[in-house]
Amino acid sequence: MLIASLVFVEFLVLLLARDIYLNGLHVYTLGASSPDLTIPQQYMVPVRVILEVDAMSIIMGIITATVSLAAAIYSLSFMKEETGQNRFYTLLLLLVAGTLGIVFTGDLFNLFVFLEIASIAGAALIAFRIRFADTAEGGFKYIVVSAIAGLMVLFAVGLFYAQYNLLNIGALAHVMQYTILDEIALVILIAAFVMKLGAVPIHMWLPDSYTVAPASITAMLLASSLACMYALFRVCFTLYGVTLNMAAVGWTVIIFGVLSMFIGVTMAVLQTDIKRLIAYNCVCEGGYMLLGVGVGLAVLGNPEVLSSYGIAAMSGGIFHIINHVLYEGLLFLAAGALFYRIGTRDLNKMGGLAHNMKFTAILFIIGALASAGIPPLNGFASKILIYESVYQFNPILAIIGILVSIITLAVFAKAFFTAFTGQVLSKYKDVKEAPKSMMTGMIILAVIIVFFGLFPGLIVNWLAQPAAEALINQTAYIGGIM
Amino acid sequence: MLISEFGFAFWNPIIWLIAFIVVMAIAYLFRSRGQKKYKRDTAQARIFLCGEEVPEAEQQHIRAHNVYWGFFETLKGYYDKVMKPHTGIVNDYMIWFIAIIAIIAIIFFIVGQV
Repeated sequence: MLIASLVFVEFLVLLLARDIYLNGLHVYTLGASSPDLTIPQQYMVPVRVILEVDAMSIIMGIITATVSLAAAIYSLSFMKEETGQNRFYTLLLLLVAGTLGIVFTGDLFNLFVFLEIASIAGAALIAFRIRFADTAEGGFKYIVVSAIAGLMVLFAVGLFYAQYNLLNIGALAHVMQYTILDEIALVILIAAFVMKLGAVPIHMWLPDSYTVAPASITAMLLASSLACMYALFRVCFTLYGVTLNMAAVGWTVIIFGVLSMFIGVTMAVLQTDIKRLIAYNCVCEGGYMLLGVGVGLAVLGNPEVLSSYGIAAMSGGIFHIINHVLYEGLLFLAAGALFYRIGTRDLNKMGGLAHNMKFTAILFIIGALASAGIPPLNGFASKILIYESVYQFNPILAIIGILVSIITLAVFAKAFFTAFTGQVLSKYKDVKEAPKSMMTGMIILAVIIVFFGLFPGLIVNWLAQPAAEALINQTAYIGGIM
Repeated sequence: MLISEFGFAFWNPIIWLIAFIVVMAIAYLFRSRGQKKYKRDTAQARIFLCGEEVPEAEQQHIRAHNVYWGFFETLKGYYDKVMKPHTGIVNDYMIWFIAIIAIIAIIFFIVGQV
């Protein structure tokens, strides 16, 4: 039933995606006599809860639905021995609903509500396996960080409501004056979303929480964090748009990106806990997305430069969001399969596991090579797009990106070498391959990774570039509401 | 559909795959010309360690904390500084959050006005 419902969600999201690419942006007004009646009669502004889905939102929707489906299939075996499974799967669906809500809502207050739903469900799921000593700590850190970020978002929403009597993103963008209060709200929103997406230097909670969560939930938390990255982009591009000081905001996002890339990867190479190593790599990969989209933001006010390389940089960043959630999700699931079979995440205690877990080793190496940007996998396709476009903006940033990619390869060479290669250790002689449902979850993601790697033009032209153009097109988003 | 082009960059995974297959075929050709007449499960196929007893698999395997030892030793100064903020204490994380709000505000209010 759970899998059927998630397959249905995936089907609906893909159907909606098809409709958006054929007919453009979609609006759904909850509680109205007609879904497209955004402004009720006798009113001048939208007052109802409105879902507004454009090419950027639907990409995030597809990512969330796909990863959730793979994670749920994986959980069937992974969580089999745990008690309270009804509660686990209820929370899992709540996390899916919260994440989809963040990316589909057209309303700032509901963005806060869905952020809270996803955060509470996420924290409960991290701490779900309470028999492990460190899960409660991971859940606690996640809820503290999420609650603070959520309250900051609520505070910013309050500032908007006090000034404009509005909560709708499109309607607010329409009347945005960029007053001193709007500027304060922007600072707070950027800081809150940057913390939630785990960018350096407010990333420390991410490895602590991701490491101890069940592997399937870690993959979903990744999608949830990327939903916060989407919210950051939505605020910068759609809510504020051209009223912003592009250079200041763009460079702020770029600096967060570069710091995340460099510190994330150098911390990852140091780790000996396989999930913590992947978690730090997530921090690093998030930097590439911030770099790509940050360059687009920095040149937003210059249409010539924007069309020359700005849109390509944004497309690269958005393509990397899709790729990142797929291969990091796969790596977390593979690490979870190791934990399921040998009961440890410590790389110092592993060795020779490829002898008995051949398919897990192959799937891990697919995810690892994709993450390191090795051709012909999807990570390479998005990274080369980022390098090429960012190079035209500032060559040093592109060089840092390439250097970080090389260190990423070293990170996964270390993980693969210590866990999978060498003679099988005597205590792991009887270890079996991961169960079928766990393999299915991993194979779904691996197949998509290879497909996206072999058909990068298809993904860039049909998904990433329309999403970048949708982000830039503030007028279309406002026009969907007003 | 297969090709991704931007500026002077060009990427076609199919060309890469063909090149990869050719290189693998050449590697296989070399490998196939190797010695095949050795006796399996005899001393011919075991590790030779100057006549010494070969240690157990556990002792042979290089552990994760030993990998890239030289890299970490060289960058010790950097790692000492980077490790310091990773205290694991959530209160410290919140201090960083407040500091980041302050830094962004300074950038937007002062630099942004220029």
